[in-house]
Amino acid sequence: MKRAAGLVITLIILLSQTSCFGLRQINELAIVTAVGLGLGDKPGTIKVSAQIIRPADARGQTGAPSGGTGQPIYSISAEGTSIFDAIRNLGRVSSRRVYWAHNFLIVMDEDYARKGIKDMVDFFTRNHELRMNTRVAVTPDLPDQVVSTITGLEVVPGEAVDRLFQNNHVVGRAPASDMMNLEEAFLSSSTEPVLARVQLKPRGISNKKPEEHGSLKQVELGGAAAFLGDKMVGWLSVKEARGLLFFLEKLGSGIEVVKCPNNDGVMSIEFKRARLKVTPSYANKEPKFGVRLTTEADIVESGCAIHLDEGIRQDAEEKLEQRLKSNIDSVIDKAQHRYHSDFLKLGDVFRNKYPEEWRVLKRDWNRTFSDAKIDVEVEATIKSGVLKSVGTEIR
Amino acid sequence: MTNQQTTRVQITSGMFIAMIVNLIFVKAIGVTQGVIARAVGQDMWLATLLGTLQGVAVMYITYVAIRKTPNLDFMALSERLLGKWIAKVIALIIFLFFLAGFGPIMITFVYHLQEYFLPEAPLYLFIVAPLLVGLLGCFYGLEVMARLALVGLLFIFLLNVLIIMGSTNEFDIRNLLPVMENGFPRTFAASLNFDADWALATMLAAVVLPSVKNADKTGGKNGMIGIAASGLLTMIWPILEGAVLSAEVTSQYTVSCMKLARNAHMGHFLQRYEMIMIALYSIPVLFEVMFCIYATSISAAKIAGLKSNKAMIPIVSVILGCFGYWIVDDHFRAIDYLENYWPRIALPIAFGLPVLLLMLRLMLGKKLNKA
Repeated sequence: MKRAAGLVITLIILLSQTSCFGLRQINELAIVTAVGLGLGDKPGTIKVSAQIIRPADARGQTGAPSGGTGQPIYSISAEGTSIFDAIRNLGRVSSRRVYWAHNFLIVMDEDYARKGIKDMVDFFTRNHELRMNTRVAVTPDLPDQVVSTITGLEVVPGEAVDRLFQNNHVVGRAPASDMMNLEEAFLSSSTEPVLARVQLKPRGISNKKPEEHGSLKQVELGGAAAFLGDKMVGWLSVKEARGLLFFLEKLGSGIEVVKCPNNDGVMSIEFKRARLKVTPSYANKEPKFGVRLTTEADIVESGCAIHLDEGIRQDAEEKLEQRLKSNIDSVIDKAQHRYHSDFLKLGDVFRNKYPEEWRVLKRDWNRTFSDAKIDVEVEATIKSGVLKSVGTEIR
Repeated sequence: MTNQQTTRVQITSGMFIAMIVNLIFVKAIGVTQGVIARAVGQDMWLATLLGTLQGVAVMYITYVAIRKTPNLDFMALSERLLGKWIAKVIALIIFLFFLAGFGPIMITFVYHLQEYFLPEAPLYLFIVAPLLVGLLGCFYGLEVMARLALVGLLFIFLLNVLIIMGSTNEFDIRNLLPVMENGFPRTFAASLNFDADWALATMLAAVVLPSVKNADKTGGKNGMIGIAASGLLTMIWPILEGAVLSAEVTSQYTVSCMKLARNAHMGHFLQRYEMIMIALYSIPVLFEVMFCIYATSISAAKIAGLKSNKAMIPIVSVILGCFGYWIVDDHFRAIDYLENYWPRIALPIAFGLPVLLLMLRLMLGKKLNKA
């Protein structure tokens, strides 16, 4: 009797552990790698565009394998009164069930972002399928064009844009925004969101028609979109985005081009080990911030055609400091006086040092931030000319 | 299970500590931290620390209450001190405690699996499957459960190492500042949510301490080590959740540890830890279910006057299953129960019962010596 009971229980346990519930076969899925969000044609609707992998063409190398179409992606769009509704409407077009777990990119159009992204943040963080390091960007172009453009070296364009973000620390001209940091900034009372800008630029050269330079549009990552609450308030240029990165990310290195002191040539200087420190203070009921950037640098390209002596070094250091200061000043100016939005996380820094005062100031922080005095100081030290000698002239 | 049987089963100190850690950890790292984040923001790690200190104190009181009669659990002790009927009342309190405690355990178990992996699977599956496993483990007895807890402890270590490795890239210590922003009283009040987690462990000690080797000498120390170890292993999570996710994000989620696991990644290839987390989480959470069945079955056997708890195992499993289903079926009810009702049930019993028995022992100790 005991054995029979044991056997029955074991069988029931085994049957309940087969994981057949919610089963999804991979060949029945439409795997989304990029999604575009924009305003629909009808008022009050949202347009969702999805870049879906075409498995037969996306495997292995680029080009058309036998039986394939040569197009690694299949792009579709649908409209709905909410994001979920629009996604469900995609199901009317897609022969497979739309699957979001491998999505690389969410790109919104400017009009949609200006109207508010509250529902977008909620939908993509509430849904268990989506990964949180999905890149998020805003585009001045149509998002369905962005997600349907074959771009980059990767077979799947969504992955190519993801790689642009991954290598962003080398170029350093846009924030590496993803769902993680968007959700954090969106929910924070002491900072505002800022997202990367992507746009289509005629940068690709067709191998078949090389004479038509720039005939292929490619996705370019550069600049940023600033938000106040859930609404986009404006763009940041690539210069301002460079300044922004010192506040938001550890932008350890980058290239700045400065003019030579003796001729019209230019010199490329690579700054390294850049450190930004923000020191808040509070006097006469007014917050104040001291921003200090220190960096070392190397001369990596010189068109100055003269020996790089101590005088050139000092001059280059001053110019580099001016350039970096200008980057930082420009983004601070936009944040304070144009957009009145603290996306630089200065509120975070102030809150951490003055929690009691923050309780009062947080109610109207963006206005207080706009009036705050911010002093910027940059100290750059050029240390080497890389492979070439510096200092002593050839006699 | 009778007292005579209890004394025959011997579990080691390591197993006892492992059982405590398993029982506390599972809910404390996610569901509890979400609740605490809603109360005190980034100070959730401090609330957990305060809760741990309270837990260590109550565990010591539990040990002191049992120390001089290490072969008696709370039910047997109360029988010796106040007689058979009072012992039945104490058994009923313990039964109700673990029945009520099964709600948060099921909230933790079901919402991890159903919400993140199998949203289309029927709810009864998530109730029946763990109960069947728990029932089987419980049927084999305390020693098997204790050995399982040791494996669970190893899994917990692995999980903590993996989540630390996967979260360091996004770690921003500024998110943990300012410290004690909401003041001590509010942080202390928030720590009561973690107290409701270790309450299960002190009640575990009240039931199984007589089965621990040399309980009279090392039981208190081991119990306190168990609570402290649980606190430290748990505290890693609010620190990471605060620094990586931010308190605002943590507070948005029912199961915030899964949110952290969802964000974690090592390089570009090992992403989304949810499945790893569930794999490493399985033993501790199944141990929790097992122990709830065990504790309710022995207290039910005591109430019914049975010598063995085995006959009660299927009965209490059905009762626990029905209650668990009712709780998790409605998220609004589940969160309301978790935040408002469970602490009010757990804390008076977890604080009150050891103190009551200690006082009774002090007042009626002579009677015990005569017996």
